[in-house]
This record gives sequence, structure tokens and C-alpha cells, in this order.
Amino acid sequence: MSNNTRTAQFTSRRAASYGRNQNTTRFASAVKLGPVTHTVLVALMITVLGLIYLTQATRATGYDYTAASVDAKIAELTTQKTDLEVENARLTALQTVQSSSVAKTMSTPSETHYLSE
Amino acid sequence: MNLHFLAGSRNEKLAIMVVIIMAVFIGRLFWLQIVQHDHFMAEARREYLGQDKIVADRGEIYAMNDGVPVRLVMNENIYTVFVDPTGVGNPQATASTIRRIAGDKTFAKIDSLIAAKPSRYQIVAKNLTPQQASELKKENLLGVGLQKETQRVYPEGQLGASVLGFVNAEGKGSYGVEGALDTRLKGTDGTLRAVRDVRNIPLTIGQENALVPAKNGDTLALTLDTNIQSYAEQALQRGMEKSGATNGSVLVMDPQTGHVLAMANLPGYNPAEYGKVTDGALFNNPIISMPYEAGSVIKPFTVTIGLDKGVITPASTYNNTDYIQVADRTIKNASIGRKTGIITIQDALNWSFNTGMVTVLERLGDGQNITYQARQTMYDYYYNKYHFAQVTGIELANEADGLLLSPDSPNGNAVQYATMTFGQGMNPTMIQVCSAFNMLMNGGTYYHPTILAGTITDGQLRPQANQPPITGVIKPETATTIRQMVHDARAEFYAGHDKKGYNIGGKTGTSQTLKPDGSYSDTQTIATYLGYGGDPAPRYTIMVKLWGKDKNLQGGADALPVFTDISNWMIDYLKLQPKG
Repeated sequence: MSNNTRTAQFTSRRAASYGRNQNTTRFASAVKLGPVTHTVLVALMITVLGLIYLTQATRATGYDYTAASVDAKIAELTTQKTDLEVENARLTALQTVQSSSVAKTMSTPSETHYLSE
Repeated sequence: MNLHFLAGSRNEKLAIMVVIIMAVFIGRLFWLQIVQHDHFMAEARREYLGQDKIVADRGEIYAMNDGVPVRLVMNENIYTVFVDPTGVGNPQATASTIRRIAGDKTFAKIDSLIAAKPSRYQIVAKNLTPQQASELKKENLLGVGLQKETQRVYPEGQLGASVLGFVNAEGKGSYGVEGALDTRLKGTDGTLRAVRDVRNIPLTIGQENALVPAKNGDTLALTLDTNIQSYAEQALQRGMEKSGATNGSVLVMDPQTGHVLAMANLPGYNPAEYGKVTDGALFNNPIISMPYEAGSVIKPFTVTIGLDKGVITPASTYNNTDYIQVADRTIKNASIGRKTGIITIQDALNWSFNTGMVTVLERLGDGQNITYQARQTMYDYYYNKYHFAQVTGIELANEADGLLLSPDSPNGNAVQYATMTFGQGMNPTMIQVCSAFNMLMNGGTYYHPTILAGTITDGQLRPQANQPPITGVIKPETATTIRQMVHDARAEFYAGHDKKGYNIGGKTGTSQTLKPDGSYSDTQTIATYLGYGGDPAPRYTIMVKLWGKDKNLQGGADALPVFTDISNWMIDYLKLQPKG
């Protein structure tokens, strides 16, 4: 029969070493940023983001100018098409055809004969 | 952080002042940004948001050319030249250049208009053609601008003017098709709301941009055939010159569909220059808007009632004495002593005897008198079957209904109805009479007259759904008989100039006009002719009417030649072949 006794609480080795290793090393930044610097940095970040937004918006606006230019061209061509259609209709109008030199040389047939089908 | 100032020190006073100034700023900002938020937002929107109306194109109007749609009314671009007098560089050189390019379209006072500072807008020339506008644009004149507008243009000139109508200065359709179908033709304007830059170019940025596209007006195709219309107008002109009539109308229809093939009214006008017309009556279309006593062309309709009711046949006889007593009035024939004694109803129609028509009406009653039942029967045919004195619904503005007294009205007595048998005492329009005549000629189907063939979409004609026809209005055998009778009536006296081998028929009408005192005038009469032609089924019906102040015009002598002229031409145009 053994005389060894067991404690009721268990402590891991890592936990047991906490106390032993403390204050051995610690990271400390050499740069110290104060509240003003923080504010300036945030303002700079906002500015950069704003510039990015403006860049994109300007690019989209650039497309608008291209689109406006294309629209103007379409309108101009549509106008030309309409004008040509009007001119075409005038040239093929009955009055024009009837007074043409070709029509003036035509004559009415004196008699018409039909072939039986 | 706690700030402690000595009471009454300069630091304390400065701090208080700073606080007060800050409070003023904050208060002002609160006022501008919170209290007046909506006001300034609206101001800002006005500044950067532009809203343009996208004008819908007015639909064009087509007609048929031997079955192929051709443009009859189009839209043309024209330009107005304006100047900003404060921005014109060299006024004299500018005026000179505009005069050189715009010619007589330049305003006479252009020099004073250009010098009219501090005005920023002066119109100096109007109605420039696209070529002139292009030439002016190349000059790149300072302070000179061009405004594009559209106007109606008529490639065929005056052809069918009274049918087409016009678009007035406010852009509203007036008269004819333009007036009747204005809503369909004009379309719906759209809007474009967008943020704009300083050059007024719309930008896609912003959350309030909106585009409502314009819906262009329908492009309509009419049933009018330009060739028939043109020939009808020429034939009418010839007929008017020969007869001395000052006014004339011709209606050509397809009796198998109710389509209007030609609708000519003279004198006409140029719809492109409607503003120069001094007589507003020229805008009217008498064929649909001028009811009149059509006279003897109504006689086939009276005979049809007798045939359909079985009280007469073409061979039925009566004793013609040239006079017939109705109540306290004596009705006489227009031509006396030409064919008296026992004659047939066909003879009465051939000779256009009023006595024969009154006899038919008597036989619809007790055979001796014009009873209430006879009048009721006649009214039923005239109103319900022939649709006299009713608006037909044709797609033209200002259609009139006309006048037809019922037997129950105070004046709907026997004398009234006796005169109605030969076309007096009732006022139908030409379109009503010709549409009913189509029904008699096509076998008994009433087609509502229409001038609208459909719409042009993507260059293709989409036919219009017309009102359903009314079938079986009269018995088929009645229709066959009356068609033969009308043919025989023409053949008896008037077929000499017809092309041989075709089935052509018709009836003359000479109607007296009412004088201011209510009596009929023998010196001012209206000439009418109503007929059909075909091979042998009727392919066209033509109604001709000539009239004029103090003009004594006869159906046989004046209107009939116009019918014959058009009928013979129609035979060739429709390529009808003779049937022996």
C-alpha cells in the first residue's frame, strides 16, 4: 500500500510556469502616436478614399460625354435620314411622276384585249 | 480638462466671446442646414438637375398605291435662326451672312433685331431647310443659334387634303384623319431628368436621374388608293369645268369591304399652307359632314324595301298618270308625259318617276294609302338597315348624322314619307348613302365604312380590326334583283359610253334646294349619280355630287359623265376582264 497522496487540484505545467516566466520579454514600439496624429491619419485615409471615389465618378462621367457625343451623332444621322425620306417621297410622288419626261411620252392605249386563261 | 479663469480676467472674456461666436455659427448652420434644408435642396436641384421633354414623333400617314403603302403625310425638319444680340461679334456681317443663306426666309428687320440689346433672344429667320441650316452652321457665327422643329410635309401636294386635315400651330390635329385620330398620331412625350454639367450635358451620376421614354405616335395607313384618288380628283375637276359647278365631291368605295378608295372634294386647299386659306369651309369634307336631300338616288332603296317585303317585283305594274295624291298634296313626276299608263316598277326606276316610289310605299301599307305601318316599315329600313341619319363612325373628324323623321314625330306624316321615297324630306350624308348602296350591291352585308387600313409597324402593314359587318340585312335574292334593276336603269339611257362587257349600273339624282322661304328652288339644284361596276360582282361603287350657288345641275347631264369617266378608268386600273 502506497503512502503517496494526491492533491484535489490539478495545475498544468504551463500554468505552473506563468509565474516563473513573467517579465522575461515584452514588445514595446519605439514610435509613439498621439491623439492628433491619429486624427490626421484618419483624415488622410478618408481623403484617399474620397479621391478614389472621385476618380471612379469622373471616369463614369467621361463615358457620359462619349454617350452624349454618340447621341448627337445619332440625332444628326436621323435628321439626315428623315430629310432623305422626304426627298425620296417627293421624287416618287404621283405629281412628279406624271410630269416627268418619261410620262409625257406615254400614250393611252386605244383598245385593250384580254387573253382567256 | 478643467479651465479656470480668474474672474473678470481677459482670458475669461475671450473665452466667453469665443463661445458666443461659436454659438452664432452653430445657430446659423442649424438654420441653414436643418430648418431651411428643403428650400436649399430644392435650389440646388434646380441648379444641377435638368429636366427635358422628349418630344414624341407624330405618326406619319400612308395611303395605298395599288396595294403597297406609300407615304402621304410625313414630318420634315425645319430650322429657326435666333441671335443673342449681346454675343454677336459683327452685326452687319452676321446679318449679311444670314440673308445670303436664308434668302427670303430672313426677317426684313434683321438689322434692328440683331442690334436689340440688352435682349438675349431674337428670331431673325424661320423655316430654313436642313441644307440651309447646315450651311449656316458651317459659318460658325458668334451669337447665332438654330432651333430644330418639325412640320408636316405632303409629298403628294393637295391630294386628299380634305381627308387628311392638317396640324395647327399648336401641334393639334384639325379636320380629317389628323383631327379624328389626333390622340393616336401624336403619341406621348417622355422626360429626361438628369444631373447636368455646365455645358448642359446629362451625367449618369446622382440618384435622382430618371428617363421616361417618349412613345411615338402610330403611323397609320389609309385605305385610300393614291392612283384612284388622283384620278377621281382630276375627273371631278373636268366635270366641274364642264358643268359649271363650283363645288364637287366624289366617293369611291369597295362594296365588298366598306373601304374608302377615294374621297375627293373640290375646291381643295394645300394642307402645307392651311394658314393661307381664307374660306374656312374648304377645310370641311362634305362627303361626311354635309347632309343633303340626295334626291332620286334614294329610289333604289325604296324599291328594295318593296322587293324585300315581297309587295312588288320589277315587273309589278301601276297606272302612271304623272301625278299621285297624298293627303292634301299632289306629288308629280319630274318629267311629265314621257311614259304614262300602265307601267312597271322597273320603268318607274328607269324614268325616275316619283309616282312609282309613292306606289311602293302605299303597297307597304294597305295598297291604297300611306298607312302608319307603311311608314314604320320604311323607317325601319332607312334607319336600322340603311343607317341613314346615323354617324357611321368613319375615322374622320366632324362627321354629321343628318336628318330622318320617324313616323312618330309630329311631321312624320304621309306626305313627308311620300317625299322621302324619292329622296326629299330627309338628309343623309354621301358616306351614309354610299355605304348603304354597297350593302344592296354586295348581296346584303352592311360594312361600316372605314378609311383606316391599319398601322405601319417596322415597315409592315398591320391591318386594323374593323367593326364587324352586319350580314343578312336584306335577302340575297332582293340584293340580286335590285342590282339588276339598277343595272337596267343605267342601261336604258346612260350606258352609251360604258366599256362593253362589264356589269355597270347606277341611278341619277337631281335634287332641288330649299329657298329661304322653305319652298324648293328649280333654279338651284344638286346633281348626284350613284353607281357600281364589276365583273360581274360589284368591285367598286362611285357616288358623284356637283353643286353651286345658283347652279342648275342635273344628275344625268352633269354628275353621270364624271361617274362614267372614273368607272371606265377603274375597269382598267383594277384589270377587270369583260364577261362577254
